[in-house]
Amino acid sequence: MRDPVTTVRPAAWPKTPALKVGPADDACNVLIVGVGGQGVIMVSKVLALLAQSQGFEVKQSEVHGMAKRGGSVFSHVRFGKRVWSPTIPKGDVDILVALEWAEGLRWLPFLKAGSGIFICDTKRIVPPFACLNRKPGAPMRYSKETPAEVVAHVGEAYAIDATDMAEQLGNERAANVVLLGALSTALDFSSTDWERTVAEFVPKKTIPVNLEAFRRGRGWIEDARTSTPAVDVPAPTPATAAPYRIRLDINPAWCKSCDICVKMCPERCLILNAERIAELAAPDKCTGCRLCEWLCPDFAIRVNLDAPEALAR
Amino acid sequence: MYIETAADFDVTDYLRKEMMPHFLCPGCGHGIALRALLWAIHDLGLDRDKLAVVSGIGCAGRLSAYIDANTFHVTHGRPLAYATGLALARPDLHVVVITGDGDCLAIGGNHLIHACRRNLKLTCLMLNNEVYGMTGGQVSPTTSETRLTTTTPLGNQEPHFDACALATAAGAGFVGREVTHHVPKLKELIKAGLEHPGFAFVEVLSDCTEIFGRKNDMGSSSDMMMRQKSEIRPSAYLDTVDTPFRSNALPTGVLTRNDRPEYGAAYRQAASARAGTSS
Repeated sequence: MRDPVTTVRPAAWPKTPALKVGPADDACNVLIVGVGGQGVIMVSKVLALLAQSQGFEVKQSEVHGMAKRGGSVFSHVRFGKRVWSPTIPKGDVDILVALEWAEGLRWLPFLKAGSGIFICDTKRIVPPFACLNRKPGAPMRYSKETPAEVVAHVGEAYAIDATDMAEQLGNERAANVVLLGALSTALDFSSTDWERTVAEFVPKKTIPVNLEAFRRGRGWIEDARTSTPAVDVPAPTPATAAPYRIRLDINPAWCKSCDICVKMCPERCLILNAERIAELAAPDKCTGCRLCEWLCPDFAIRVNLDAPEALAR
Repeated sequence: MYIETAADFDVTDYLRKEMMPHFLCPGCGHGIALRALLWAIHDLGLDRDKLAVVSGIGCAGRLSAYIDANTFHVTHGRPLAYATGLALARPDLHVVVITGDGDCLAIGGNHLIHACRRNLKLTCLMLNNEVYGMTGGQVSPTTSETRLTTTTPLGNQEPHFDACALATAAGAGFVGREVTHHVPKLKELIKAGLEHPGFAFVEVLSDCTEIFGRKNDMGSSSDMMMRQKSEIRPSAYLDTVDTPFRSNALPTGVLTRNDRPEYGAAYRQAASARAGTSS
């Protein structure tokens, strides 16, 4: 089960603000990760500004610019009396906030073993390279670990369905603020200061929804500490069998050997045979996308997707 | 949204199978455009007894012969004139015109601008392959500059027509453009044109591989298709992208849509008013 409330505070973060000026390791390290467009940078800026306004030295470092590509985005935030390096060494992260499930898992090795806190959205954004096999029913190469399995292996971990909570508020994009609310429980700043800083960063029209999202995220963690929350979302399991079987009807009397189908097939599974007629050479590669059917100027190809039970009959 | 009906649309249901295979050269984009038109008709569930396809002369004009519906193959450049008469006399019919770039813009250019001006309920599908393919590859009004044809051995020096700009300027109620490579999008565009209450003009960028492509060393039909795809810019992106990419590319998608009064309804109203006063 989850550790009691007292361990929520990062080990490196002393309760009293009367911090002694010391070596760099007195900094509190927060790593925020996600996918382009989710608001990773916004979360880290809110935290950085808040820490700065409380009189701490803050260093923030990020990789961004992936917003349009759905790529990996991360942001290091370090604050304390004295911070030397802008990046967090591997294994020194006190709090890891992940806005996307697989990104959270990717960065888990950065978390301080034993005392680190892992706060992760269960939102799954499946990247295109996880779907390279386009056969219907093919397995996705996305992380198969369920939240329950991961949470069990981390000292203190929370898997929140923040996206769903934000959707209930009517704005999916507020998911990052839900996670900010969750993050706020692990740090020693007052709730009013948090909300003031969040309001500074979000567009004016969305201030009420974002503040509500913040409170929900905060409330969720508080509830989670007293009860066992239902965090488990099953891993994405594609259908074990294809929902249909693919059958290509090629009419050799109409085919004019223009080879459009051969060149345009994304799976390269068609060829022109010895008679220069289109032929399905690799039926196991065909995904039934219909591109050959649509692009055949001679109407010679028909893609049939038969339900398996229809074949059995 | 695009492909919901892909499974139950079998193009051969809409073809005169005894005429097949059609006469088009291997790799001609016109066949793809014909599929998109038939798919749009299938999607709308139009009664084929109430569908009239009028076409002129040329490779595109020949397509009406393969459609299993009421078809009317008329003189060069005049399909819009015949279709205007047909649509006025039989408002219950759904009149579709298939025409080529030479048919529509050169010899039939006059009919096109007046059909646009009247805004009679018609759908005009112009298949633009930049050349007179059937007669041996002469220069057409849409042939791009510097392109070689049998009548421009030094490369075409005439500026070419932008058919969509012409139709918009002449007052067409609906103007759109798409390439043959985007079949479901083309189908959606034709569908929107068929549903438009006034004159709908749809330009399809097709490819003539055997005559135009060969003369200009443009590769196979798939190469030509990919080239066309790289030379267009979906008009839907114009508002969303800060700096328009491919700013000199041809815009595609729905380019013009207005609700000017439709000519046929106005005409019938005036006629019935006259009939009422004279009796």
